[in-house]
Amino acid sequence: MEKKVVDMEPAAEAKQPSGKKVAAGKGELVSGRTLGLVMSAAILVAVLTLTPKSTFLSTDTMAFISNYVAFWAMLALAQAMCLVVGGMNLSVGAICSITTVVLGLCLDSRYLGLSGCIAVPIMMLAGCVAGWINGLLIVKLKINSFIVTLSTMFVYMGLRSGISGGDSYNRLPQSFKTIGNGTVAGLGVPYLILVVVAVLAVMAFVFNRTVFGRRLLATGGNAEAAKLSGVDTDKMTVWANVLSGLFAALAAALYASYMGVATPGTGDDWVIISFAVAIIGGTGLSGGLVSMTGILMGGVIVQLIKYGIVQVMKSSDYYANCFLGASILLAIVVDRVRETYDEKARSSAGRAGRKTGPGQDTGP
Amino acid sequence: MLELRSISKNFPGIKALDNVSLRFEPGEIHALMGENGAGKSTAMKIISGIYQPDAGEIYWDGKRLSFHTYRDSINAGIYIVYQEIQVIPESSIAENIMLDKMITLGKSGIVDWQAINETAARYMRMVGLDLPPTAVMKHLSAAHKQLAQIAKALAANAKALLLDEPTSSLTQHEADNLFPILRELKNAGVTIIFVSHKIEEVMGLCDKVSVLRDGAHVGTRLVSQLTKDDLIRMMIGRECNDEHLGKLDVNREREMLRVEHITRADKAHDVGFAVYEGEVLGFYGLVGAGRTELARIIIGQDRPDSGTIYVRGEPVRIHSISDSLYHHRIGYVTENRKEEGLFLQSSIQTNITITIWQYIVNRLTRSISSVKETKAAQDMATALQVKATSLQQRVEDLSGGNQQKVSIGKWLAADCDVLIIDEPTVGVDVGAKEQIHRLIWDLARKQRKAVILISSDMREIIRVSSRILVFKDQRIVGELADVDDPIKTYDEISTAIGRYLA
Repeated sequence: MEKKVVDMEPAAEAKQPSGKKVAAGKGELVSGRTLGLVMSAAILVAVLTLTPKSTFLSTDTMAFISNYVAFWAMLALAQAMCLVVGGMNLSVGAICSITTVVLGLCLDSRYLGLSGCIAVPIMMLAGCVAGWINGLLIVKLKINSFIVTLSTMFVYMGLRSGISGGDSYNRLPQSFKTIGNGTVAGLGVPYLILVVVAVLAVMAFVFNRTVFGRRLLATGGNAEAAKLSGVDTDKMTVWANVLSGLFAALAAALYASYMGVATPGTGDDWVIISFAVAIIGGTGLSGGLVSMTGILMGGVIVQLIKYGIVQVMKSSDYYANCFLGASILLAIVVDRVRETYDEKARSSAGRAGRKTGPGQDTGP
Repeated sequence: MLELRSISKNFPGIKALDNVSLRFEPGEIHALMGENGAGKSTAMKIISGIYQPDAGEIYWDGKRLSFHTYRDSINAGIYIVYQEIQVIPESSIAENIMLDKMITLGKSGIVDWQAINETAARYMRMVGLDLPPTAVMKHLSAAHKQLAQIAKALAANAKALLLDEPTSSLTQHEADNLFPILRELKNAGVTIIFVSHKIEEVMGLCDKVSVLRDGAHVGTRLVSQLTKDDLIRMMIGRECNDEHLGKLDVNREREMLRVEHITRADKAHDVGFAVYEGEVLGFYGLVGAGRTELARIIIGQDRPDSGTIYVRGEPVRIHSISDSLYHHRIGYVTENRKEEGLFLQSSIQTNITITIWQYIVNRLTRSISSVKETKAAQDMATALQVKATSLQQRVEDLSGGNQQKVSIGKWLAADCDVLIIDEPTVGVDVGAKEQIHRLIWDLARKQRKAVILISSDMREIIRVSSRILVFKDQRIVGELADVDDPIKTYDEISTAIGRYLA
């Protein structure tokens, strides 16, 4: 068309500050938020280091904490996959559980005794299948994810108890256990956390730069608009659930590797943590918004809190849930405050910026 | 008397109201007009206490008002009837009307349904709402819901009634029913503020009109002293053109889309038509006539019970929206841009490029080319003259007209061959309306698309189309050819349409 009416600043100026931060068009909001998380984590670290008789900064403690951060982050990612498309996954812990049983059956020398290279992919596949079932039920029966995953949670838990009979699988190959407990030579960085960071980096790329990831965000952002824009929202929902199952299985695999045992009870308490870390990490509850760095920081904060409660305050791990709950509330409140602050900032930018004048858009 | 003195209000990126002073007297219907983004809705929301002004004061009957919540305005007797009608759907009409003033049995706190229904019925009669007070709200038509809202205001002894685009969800007939009621209220001494962008309506109903433009008060005049052109000039600062945009060059050799004998219970009865390259085919009809329903069948959202669809002469089966879009190159611009057309919290760029993501992917890395994405969005936004601070601006911060442009832009980017555009200028200001009309016309004329324009705005459809199909009761009841022939007059065409609908 004719005249170029330039009313826009060059798009380059509005680039998102860091490659890893993802959100459909909310780049700045997320990075500011993640910064807040980093600061909270820093404060927690400072508090924990400065308490008397603190063993916080030792390599052992660091490794311990890092490993748990790995489990929580992977778990939160599993939950976030469903949150992103506007649903949720209450069966995430149960999937950890049932896939652990699958792993145990594969790895334990008393049963199939397969090597880790075969057993772990089988476990992942089991996780995908469990997620796929969730997705199918949600999409085909058109029942909301809350009810579907609540039901499958019981189904999977029942299966795991039935199959395992409650026994743990502890005759696992040494190679499998080494990965879980190994650290990069000299640096003391556990392998597990590296695995998780790699997965998060890949997912950041997926959400930010691939068509698939964008479509997931669109499905959660506005399902009706996504549908009308040619996105197959049903397919996206199923895929999101499959990936959710996959990541849940991965979390369980990491855990089993660390513990050296495949315990069927794995994941029983994990649903709450999956939500806590995801939400603290900035995953939007209504969908369409997620941050990989946020999830990682969420995991850090949650584990620091748990560690702090047990070690420093010397109270039992059960009370940790109180603090977790309080942290979620705090995270949401802080988020609201930030949104309001952001609106005011955008508003004053508008005041300072141009006022649209009547003669400004020249018609054709 | 309601008075606004030097009111100013700002939002992200927009100066909504700039030192606006207005005076609304009792016993008159005072129109508040202006383009979208001119500040009308903002002014209303400030009056009703939903927004706080950044500067200025409100005076009601001489007293300085300070509203902090919506309740404050209600308590002062100021009632607002919204464009998007907010009711409690599961409750009865009486309950909705009497919600603020539930009558109880003595002081027991137990509701006296009989008294409530009787009182509600009284107010319902006043506004001509001829339904049982116990009828459930959600089954009511938009027009009836609106009358119920007004009854509610009356029941609360409203002294000022603010109506925000009240006829946007009404048919002509229903609107005609509303106006005598408003006149009666005016005569009873109520201050009525009528926000609208429909010029004929305002000129026919209102006594005074105040015009806002880009957040400033342009002037207040008596309607009797104004012509339509005067009013338009006040609103947009220049003349408005009603003439047809020009003859289109339709290629009858290239049939892009044809449907035959499409039937679907309650949505379409034996509908058939064809649309050609370079044509703007108008679908005219009232709400519910079956045009949107037909469109949704064509794009694959709904399956027809019988009938065939031909794309470029070949019979096809359309399985889904992505099938119709990516395989058959048919696009559909929805009439509900906020609910179905846009991702409000996302950027302009994301909204425009969603349909083309898969085409701008780097084959190897599977990553969307950021350069191509930005360029596509930039091209589209420039072509459509979207007014925004940047491509990354959130769509929810844009004015209605600009939002609609982004919504259309998404489909232009997708480069469809057939584009179905559904009510493109609802809630869009005069200036942007013109631009969109020109855009649609250019799509057919210059870019050789086949365009189907669904509209209930007679002026719009006559101005842009080259051929018009008239819909009624889910059937096509008439066809007008050569609408773009310069010899034909507007009256000729509109009369012909009216005849088909009778």
